[in-house]
Formats: sequence, C-alpha cells, structure tokens
Amino acid sequence: MKVKTISRSTDEFTRERSNDLQRVFRNYDPKLRPQEKAVEYVRALNAAKLEKIFGRPFVGAMEHNEAISCMAKNPNHLKGIFAGSEDGDIRLWDITSRRTVRKFPGHRGAVRGLTASTDGSRLVSCGADCIIRRWTVPVEDSSEDSVKPEDFHISKNAYWGVDHQWKGDQFATVGAQVDIWNHTSNAPVRSFQWGTDTVISVRFNPGHPDLLATSASDRSITLYDVKTTIPIKKLIMQTKTNSIAWNPMEPMNFTAANEDGNCYSYDLRKLNEATMVHTDHAAAVMDIDYSPTGREFVTGSYDRTVRIFRYNGGHSREIYHTSRMQRVFCVKFSCDASYVISGSDDYNLRLWKAMASEQLGVLLPREKKRHEYDEALKNRYKHLPEVKRILRFGLGTLFLVCIKVYTYQYESSFSPLLLCTGLDTGTTRGHTWCTRVSSSAQGHWR
Amino acid sequence: MVETKRKGRDEPKHNKMKKQKSSGSKTLSTKKKSKRNDARKGPRLPNSLRKEVERLNPSTQLNSEDEDINSDEGEFLTDDIYEYEEKIPQEESRKNRRFDPVENFEYELPEDFEDENVPSDDDEDEDDDLMDNGGNKLEDSHDEIEEDDDGRHVRMLEGITGMPSEAFEGNKKKNNVVISEAYPESEYNPTRDVLDGGGRISMEDLLGTLQKKPGFGKLRKIMDQMKKSEAIEAPLPTVIREKMERQAAYKISKKDMAKWEPLVKRNREAPTIYFDEDTDLGFSTVGAIASEFEPRTEFEKKMASLVYDDDVMEAHKKDGSRLLELNQVSMEDEKERHNRIAKMRSLLFRHEMKAKHIKKIKSKTYHRLLKKDRLKTAAALTEMDPEAAKEQAMKQEFKRAEERMTLKHKNTSKWATRILQRGLQVQDEGTRAAITEQLQQHALLTRKMNSMKDGSSSSSSSDDTSDEDDVDEDSSVLKEGRASKLLGKATEKTLKILEEEEDEVPDSGIFSLPFMERGLKKRKEAAEDEAKLALQEYEVSMKQLDDPSGAENSKIKASSGRRVFGAANIRAPESRDVIKTDNFYANSDSDDDLEAKENIFDMGKDGSCDMQKDVHVDSVLPHEFPQDSVFKSFDDIVRDPGPKTTYDVAIFASDKWRKMESRNKVDANSKKSPVAVEPEYNQDLQEPVKEVGENSDTESEGQMVDGIISLDPKPTYELPSQTELIRQAFAGDDVEEDFENDKQEILNEENPEPEKPVLLPGWGQWTRVQKKKGLPSWMLKEHENAKRKREEALKKRKDAHLKHVIISEKLDKKAEKLLTKTLPYPFTSKEVFEQSIRMPIGPEFNPATAVGALNRPAVVKKPGVIIKPIEFKEVNPHENKEGHKWSGQKQKTKKSKSDGSMPRKKMKKAEGKTKKVN
Repeated sequence: MKVKTISRSTDEFTRERSNDLQRVFRNYDPKLRPQEKAVEYVRALNAAKLEKIFGRPFVGAMEHNEAISCMAKNPNHLKGIFAGSEDGDIRLWDITSRRTVRKFPGHRGAVRGLTASTDGSRLVSCGADCIIRRWTVPVEDSSEDSVKPEDFHISKNAYWGVDHQWKGDQFATVGAQVDIWNHTSNAPVRSFQWGTDTVISVRFNPGHPDLLATSASDRSITLYDVKTTIPIKKLIMQTKTNSIAWNPMEPMNFTAANEDGNCYSYDLRKLNEATMVHTDHAAAVMDIDYSPTGREFVTGSYDRTVRIFRYNGGHSREIYHTSRMQRVFCVKFSCDASYVISGSDDYNLRLWKAMASEQLGVLLPREKKRHEYDEALKNRYKHLPEVKRILRFGLGTLFLVCIKVYTYQYESSFSPLLLCTGLDTGTTRGHTWCTRVSSSAQGHWR
Repeated sequence: MVETKRKGRDEPKHNKMKKQKSSGSKTLSTKKKSKRNDARKGPRLPNSLRKEVERLNPSTQLNSEDEDINSDEGEFLTDDIYEYEEKIPQEESRKNRRFDPVENFEYELPEDFEDENVPSDDDEDEDDDLMDNGGNKLEDSHDEIEEDDDGRHVRMLEGITGMPSEAFEGNKKKNNVVISEAYPESEYNPTRDVLDGGGRISMEDLLGTLQKKPGFGKLRKIMDQMKKSEAIEAPLPTVIREKMERQAAYKISKKDMAKWEPLVKRNREAPTIYFDEDTDLGFSTVGAIASEFEPRTEFEKKMASLVYDDDVMEAHKKDGSRLLELNQVSMEDEKERHNRIAKMRSLLFRHEMKAKHIKKIKSKTYHRLLKKDRLKTAAALTEMDPEAAKEQAMKQEFKRAEERMTLKHKNTSKWATRILQRGLQVQDEGTRAAITEQLQQHALLTRKMNSMKDGSSSSSSSDDTSDEDDVDEDSSVLKEGRASKLLGKATEKTLKILEEEEDEVPDSGIFSLPFMERGLKKRKEAAEDEAKLALQEYEVSMKQLDDPSGAENSKIKASSGRRVFGAANIRAPESRDVIKTDNFYANSDSDDDLEAKENIFDMGKDGSCDMQKDVHVDSVLPHEFPQDSVFKSFDDIVRDPGPKTTYDVAIFASDKWRKMESRNKVDANSKKSPVAVEPEYNQDLQEPVKEVGENSDTESEGQMVDGIISLDPKPTYELPSQTELIRQAFAGDDVEEDFENDKQEILNEENPEPEKPVLLPGWGQWTRVQKKKGLPSWMLKEHENAKRKREEALKKRKDAHLKHVIISEKLDKKAEKLLTKTLPYPFTSKEVFEQSIRMPIGPEFNPATAVGALNRPAVVKKPGVIIKPIEFKEVNPHENKEGHKWSGQKQKTKKSKSDGSMPRKKMKKAEGKTKKVN
C-alpha cells in the first residue's frame, strides 16, 4: 500500500528570527474567488468617494500688508519661501509654522521679481523702483529681524522680473531689456535686446542652465543662450504671455501662460505648433510653475483660482479656491512636489496640498500600501460611469447646488466663477463642474 | 539652403561654359555681372517697374548694355514683344560697336546665344531670392566663379601643354580683348581705353617683374593658394547678419537639446519614476557626531583639557606605549589605596553581620524597646536638630498623604467591612478595640502637622532678615514648650522626692538613733520647705508661661485654623470609648465628606447602616426599573415573535445578553418588514406563472409549435443518397428546433406569459357556487388583457419577423453600471482594454511579492525630500529597463500610447493659435 504524506523541508520552513512571518500558502486560483472583480469595483467606488470626502486642500494662509506680486522658493531649503508685495516688502516665510522669519526692507515700489540662488544663500530682488537689490539670506539662528541689502544697482527703467540660473552664479533681469548679471560684478555681464517692447517675464531652464526664455508685451516669447551674444529664437503668440515655466525633467519643453486663459506647451525644437493646449481658466493666466517631478504644473489666474494640470492633460486635474480669495498673481510648487503656494491680491499667501485628499504626516507601511492600492483601483476603474462621475463631479449633493448657482448666475450676469465659488460648500470639485457647465452653457445661451 | 541650391544649379552651367570657347563664356559672365551691378544700386525696384524705367530712358545706359537688358527682359517675361526684339540680328542693333568684327565671326549663333541666356533667367530670380536673404555674398561668389573660370582655363592649358601659365599670357590677353568688350557695361570699368590697353592688371603681371628674384617660387605658391582659397566676403548688413547668426545658434541649441531625448524618453516610458533616492541624513556614525562636540561647561572643559593634553595626544598618535608611562602610579599610593579599601570592606562586613544578627532576634520585647529607643532618639533629634525635625515632618507629611490616598486604616479592608456589616455590637471586645485603634491610627496619620511645617518653612525661607521675627517667635514657642515640660518634670520629681522622703525613713543603724532622727527631721522639714518653695516657684513660672503660650497658641490656631495639639492629644488616650462622639472628629482635620461617612459609622448601629443602604438602593432603583421594564418588554417581544423568527434560541439571564437580544430584536423587526412585503411580491409573481401554465396549453405555444412544424420538414430530393446520408448523420441534432426553443425561452423570460387564474376552493365564494360557475368573470378578463398585452409586446419586438435571429431587448441596469459606453481613450481595441482590467490587483488575490509592483504609482516621491531638476547622463537605449516586470508591461503600453497620440490630436487646434516668426 502506498501512503501519501505531506512533506516539507525544514530548511524552507524554519524561520530565521522569531519575528519573521510564517510562510503561508494561498491558492490564487480565480475560480475560488468568483467575486474578485465585483469586490474591486466596489472598492474603487469607495476610494473615489473617499477622495472627495477627504479632498480638503487648503492648509493655511500667510498675510502681507499688500497684494503679493511675486514669490521665490528657496531651492535648498524646503520650508522657506520668499514673497514680495506691492508695497516693497519682502519676507521670508517659514511654511511649516506659517510665520515670518525675516524681513528684507528696502524697496520703495512694488517688488516685481524675486529669485534665490541654488544654494539658497543669496536672494535677488528687483522692482518698479528701478533697483536691483542683492541680499544674503541669513542662517537659521541669527537673531535679527530684518536684513540689510548687500548690494544694489539702480537703472533707468523699471524691472519686471528676475530669475536665477540653476547651479550657476548668473541671473537675468528683464524690463526694457534682458540683462545677464553675475554675483561678483556690479554691471550686467551681457545685455540682449530684440524689439522695443517691455520684457515682462524671464525663466531659466533648470535642466539646461544656459538657456532662458522671456516673454514680452509684444506677445512674443524669446529664447536666449547666455553663452552666446545674441538671442536665439522668437515666437509670436496670439495673446500676451504672462509667464513661462520650463519642465525641469524635460529640458526641451516649456509651457507658456497666456492672457487668453490657456497655457501652451511647446517643444523647443518644434516651435511651429504647440504640443498641447491646456484650457480651463476663465481669465488670464498670471503665473505658472512646474512641479519638480515634471508631471504637473500649477497655474494662478485672474479668475481667482489656482489650477493644477497634468503636463499632458488638456484640462485641469484640480481647481483651488477659498472664500475671500482674490486674483492670483503668483504660484509656486514646493520643492518636494507635495504643496502648492499661491499669492494673491488679497494680501495673502496660501498654502495648499498638491493632492487634495492626500494624507499628511508619516504613514505606516500598511497605510501607504492601502493608499497605493486605492490609487491603482481608481486609475483602473476610472472609465466606468459611476466612478467617473464621482471623480469628475464629486458626490451627489453638490450637483444640485451647482445647478442653482449656475442658473442664478446667468440671470444676474455676474462673473460666472465668482458666484459658483461663493456659494460652494467647500469641496473643490464643485468648481470644476461649475466652470464646465458654464462654458458649455455659454454656447447654448448665445 | 539657397546658396547650396544655387551652386548646384551653377555647376552645370559652368560645365557648359567650359565646353564653349573662352570668349563665349566671358561674354556671358560679364553680362551677368552687369545685371548684378544693376541690382546693387540703391533700393531695388520690382522687376516690372524697373523695366519700365529702363524703357523710358535707355540713354542713361550704354548702348550695348541696353541691348543686353532688352534681351534679358525678353528672357524675363517670355512675351511676344521681346521675342520680336530678340530676333533683330545683333549686327544691326547698336551693339555692333561692342563686338569686335573678328570675334563676331567666331561668335554668331543667335539661337545658341539665346539658349545660353535661358538659364540666366533663373539667375535673375535667384538673385532676387538672394536679396531676400540678403547675400551680396553670393555676388562675390559669382566673381569668384568667374575668376575661377579663368584660372581653370589656364590651368587646363597648363595641364595639356605642360607649359607654365605665363606662356599663355599672350593668349589670355588676346582673349581679354574679347572680354574687354564686355566690361564697359560695368560701372567699374568706364573707359574702353584701359580695357583695350590690356585689360586689368593681374597679379601675374605684377609677379612677372619679380620672376628672377629669389623667393619667387615661394611667393608664387602662396599666390596660387590664395587664388584657390575663397575670397574674403564683404560684411553683411547687421540685420541680416544677426538673423543668420540666430539661425545658426538655434540650430546649435536644437542639436544640444537632442542629447536629452533618450533620457526624457526613458523617463516617460518608465512605469514608475522614483524621486526618493539617496537622501542625505547627515552624520550617521557615533564617531562623526562625537567629533562635532565642543566642551561648554566647566566640567567638560576640564575633561577636555585632560583628554586633549598634549602628552596624551602625542602618546596616542604614537603606538600608545607611552600611555603606559603616563599612567604610572607610585608604590605608596597604591598601597595606601589598597589599605583604605580593605578597611572599608571590613567595616562594611561587620556592619552587615551586626544587622543580620539584630534582624534574627525574635524577642518582642526587644523590638518594642528598640522601637521606643528609636522614637526617643527621633524625638530628641527633633528637639535638638532643626534639620532632623524637618525630615521628620517630611516623613510625617508623606505618611499622611499616603494615608489620605489609600485610606488603609479607614475600615476599607475586607476584614473591617465584614465586621461593620455584621455590626459592631455583635463583636467581641478585642475586635472592637482593634477597629477603634485602626480608626485612631488613621486619625493620627491624617492629622496635619502644622508646627513642623511652619518651622521648616520659616527656616528654609531665604529671606533671613524679613523672617527674623517669625523665627524668634517660633523659637520662643519652642522654648516655652520645652520650659513647661521641664517645669512639669521638675515638679514631678520634687513631689516624688517628697514622697520618697516620707517613705524612706530608715528604721535601723545610725539613722535610727534619736539625735540622728531629729537631725533628719530638721533637714527634711528644711527640704520640704525648699521643695514647697520650689513648687510654688514652678507653679508661678508655669502660670507665667501658660498665659503667653496660650495666647500665642490661640493666635497660631487662628492663623492656621486647624491646629489642634495638646488638648486633643491628651484627650485621645483618655477617651477611647468616647471616640464615637462627634467632638473628636470635629476637631480633627479629616475632610468633610470623610467626616460624614465617619459619622455614619460612628452612629455605628446596624440599622442606620441598613437604612443608608436602603436609601441608596432606593435611589438606584427608580433608574433601574424602567430598564428592567424595558428588558422585560423586550423579552416579551422576543418571546412573542419567537416561534416565527429564529431569535427564540436563548434568553439569557444577564442583562447584557438581554440587551444584545433586544438589539437583535430591532434587527428582526427591521428584517421583518421586507419579509412581510415579500410574500406579496411572491403572490404577484406567482399569478402570472400560473397563468402561463394555463396558457401554454391553449394558444401561443400551439402556434409556435405550428410554426416550427411548418419550418421543419425540408423538401427531400430524389437526388443521390448524399443528402439522406447527411440527414442521417445529423439526425440527432436538430439545430433549428434547438434555436427555436432557445428563442422561446428568451421570449418567455423577457416577456413572461401571464399567470393562469387559479381557483382556490372556498375563497370568495362557496365551493358549490364555485363549482357551478367556474372562474369569476373578472379574473378571466384580466387574464385576457394580460395575454393581449403580451402578444402586442411580442409583435413589437425587433426580432418578431426574423426567424433566425434573437435580439435581446432586456437591458440589465445593474450590469450597465459595470460597462463603459465607449472605448476609453488610450485604448485602441476592446480586447486590450478588457485585458487591462481582467486580473485583480488586490492583496487578497495576488501574492505579496506581486502586489507592490501591481499597485505602484507612476511617481514615487517622499514628502520632505527636495527634488532636483534632471541631470544629464548617458543612456544606453538598448539596456534593459530596470525593475518591475509585473506593472511594467501593462502600464508601459498605455503610457507610450498616450504620449504618442495625444499631441497629434491637439495639433490642429494649436496651429491655429500661433504664428511663427524666425
């Protein structure tokens, strides 16, 4: 007679340490679990709902005495952000405690441009008072409250923007012309001029540090190389470009924020057409900044909202707005890609989460796994009608509110977005829906 | 671009020129030159305009040129008019003068001439182009070409004949004469005389004079090289130059950008990009942290000075052997140390032994004495030493706190509670005593020891000057206390002595002698007097002391409020039986609530205790009753529906379980309602079913069957047995019938047949009436209606007239939720999409090793880690993509698709919006 026995080798089944897990064998035969797909669908639905429920992106606000005109992040220090306002006040904010760490007094007019060197030790500011000031950013524990400028340079024309090279010691200012400066010299190293119009924004390419792009009030975007003495290329848009951002992970691509409420992504090598048009804003886009991951960018607009787009998405992924929030003049993505900071006309810097429903703080491994699983499920079932509806429009109750708002707003012929946002119940998704409805309804009404 | 094209076109022309005689080529090129000169003058007019101008005033130009232009014009606009002009023989025209008669013979082929000029038409256009791009550079190149032609010709001759080029000078000059005819066209060569006189002065001419000089060969070589090399271009206008520079720079930067392409492509195609690598946590080792340490305090500095002593450091740096030298200790020191330690050890040992011995002693009296001793010394210490007093006070305080917290002596122990429950009266004397003793101990322990505390606080207070008075007061109080005690002792002693003296009258010996007795008596009396006096004194002083001390005591009482000393102390031992009175406790410091409880126990009677309990219970009961009633009611409810539901399984004794049950009950109730509804549904459902059952007998099925029957028999042919064979072969499976049946089933399912009306005996009517009348008419009517409706529904179906088709009209709304209406965007085929969501990704359905990879997000980053922009590194495009097989395959395809097709979609929109300017 033959007897079958279960035999296991001790080598495989002995634990090395007492806290090692015992090996467990499971049969993953799908026949044994006929409901797996249904289970996952329900989980995806729940994950989508939870995303809406936990979607509270606003973290806090930091107040100035005037409208915020420009910001600069400290590339070497995660929680430091410089903000300049219309009254010439520059402050270094500590994002974690949301308190002013330092003040940089000196500008008489509005501060138009701010930038910090890559090591975060130097700050350059320029403004409508025709002055460029250079500051040394004080170390953490020095006690004095305000900082004196290290150096300044006065010119004939007002300055409109400044940006620092990544890892180099050069920075560029724009205004009547484009000047390239050095930290050591007191006069511009190089000046470019192409056309007579005022240049309003400048941005260095972080991946390819010699390259910079400027936009001017003659609707042009111009590319320069600091190594050469001449500009490289000019692109004329249909509307003025307010700001430009380079994709930090793809040095050939940049996105321009335009006056017509759209953003245009371009490939440097093929400038005859935009690779992508990002639409959604209802008014001029004032500022744009790429996420350090290169997969997203944030825009701030004159329609009082902040939006987050995917680098290849035609429509925004997220829209942020709070009560009493005014026209947004500047936006920045934090250096770790998990926060967004916006500065607006209502004297406030606002701190937002980049992912509205993200859980902050240290996550346990199991929590982390769970979040990943939820994300994956949402991504997998996002095409199914129920999940899609929740992901796009949020949970049901808001729906009706929005319809009311929308009908009202067209009767009263106010700015559509204002009213929508004013009556919103707090979740951000409502806005998206509102704007979409309003844009589609505009066609219907006219 | 234009230039290269131009050159490309030029070359064939040159070839042609070469084929021709030199004179021909010359004329051609000169003509070209003249045109170019035109072009050079001032702002350029459009061709048509210029033609007009030239036609209007031909006199401004030389005749020959005019003619030339005419001919050119003819070429420009291939019009009839100009053709006509061209056909005028050249000799007749005013050009005559230009052509040497001799050369004329050689060169009279008007049609040939025309042919040659045709390409020059292009030239003109190209020149126009050139102006667009702003190159007079190109003109220069033409000059150069011309020169080149000369040079080539000469070189050719050289090559052929093997003679030096100078040998052909004459020939060339001769040729030049021909060429010279062309020159007047140009503004640079206005006079014919110069040309006739031998043309331009060439470099060869100049060199000719140097022929015999040394170094001529070298010079000639250089000259040859110069001839070969390009001529230096004239500087372009800045605008054009900049434009070209910009173009070049853009080209370069484009090329620069190309290097990023593989890197970016790899990142885009990767299923996951990671931004959480190599975080620098700073120091990691203990040594690294320690090296940063700087001594700050005195002690640390001292240590540092020793550790970083030069000698020691040096010794460390060397092999370390010197450390031993530094460590040397003298013999005496070591010995002394050894002795000291030995002594200490022996002392310790003895002490230990003694302690052990004492501990072993079991005698109770000894221990009692020991305790007494200890107390005495403690008391003495408190009197003598303020420090010790403080300590004592602290100890007392601690004990008090402990007692107040634990209530150890508050009849809380099992034993005490049991006794109290039984009643104190019942107990024997010993137990009662024990209980009272315990309470007393509690009272003692919990009493506040104010004097100690005050004394300690005042002595510990740092403000000596301000507290001096207090200290004085306190010390006086102490003194007074002590003094009174001393006095008391003294009086006692004196009294004792007095008594003793009375008792101790010796009866025998010397003292018994009479004179001795007398003497003693006298002395005694004197002593008694003295003693009395002393007693009086004592009393007086006692009184004196009492008054102020009493006053002060009262003061202190007033200030502290609770202090109770002497009196209570004295009374306590006196009245053990009186303890039950309130006075004692009123005086004592115990808290009010404690007091109250104490009172209860002091009242001490069982009855009262019981009463209290009853009250408590009563107070509780009203709360409990409703609960109980609720429970009961629930119980009832549970019991009542019990037989119907499954919840009668067990009724538990404890309330918790009852509660559970009650909850269950609620569930049951909630469940009950749907249950109650269900039967109705069932009835509704059953009716049509029954009707169907009835119906099936009658009409519809019969029809259907008819239909099938009519379909079924196929006409048989007398043809070979083939078909028969086939039929035999497939005799078993009648496909069509199967299909019909299937269709019927589906029809029945989607449009169910109405239920047959059922006659329930005794329901509605008496059975005999039912038997007589059959089904009631309304039932039949209803049934008829339902049947008709079904027929209509079946007729309306899309597949009503299609025998071989089933079109399902059943729309499952629940299933609809799980389907997409259209194919989602990145997917191109249904199969691919279905594949992508076929396998589950959850941890329950996949092994732990795979779950992580399946669920990994596209971007992995750590909050709080700064992400730097991309940095260039070489990418091997053929290398294996690292990582995660599982998720890789699936997501990659999606990604690449989205990347590829998305921009294309948007192209048109984008094009409309922007306009390019270089």
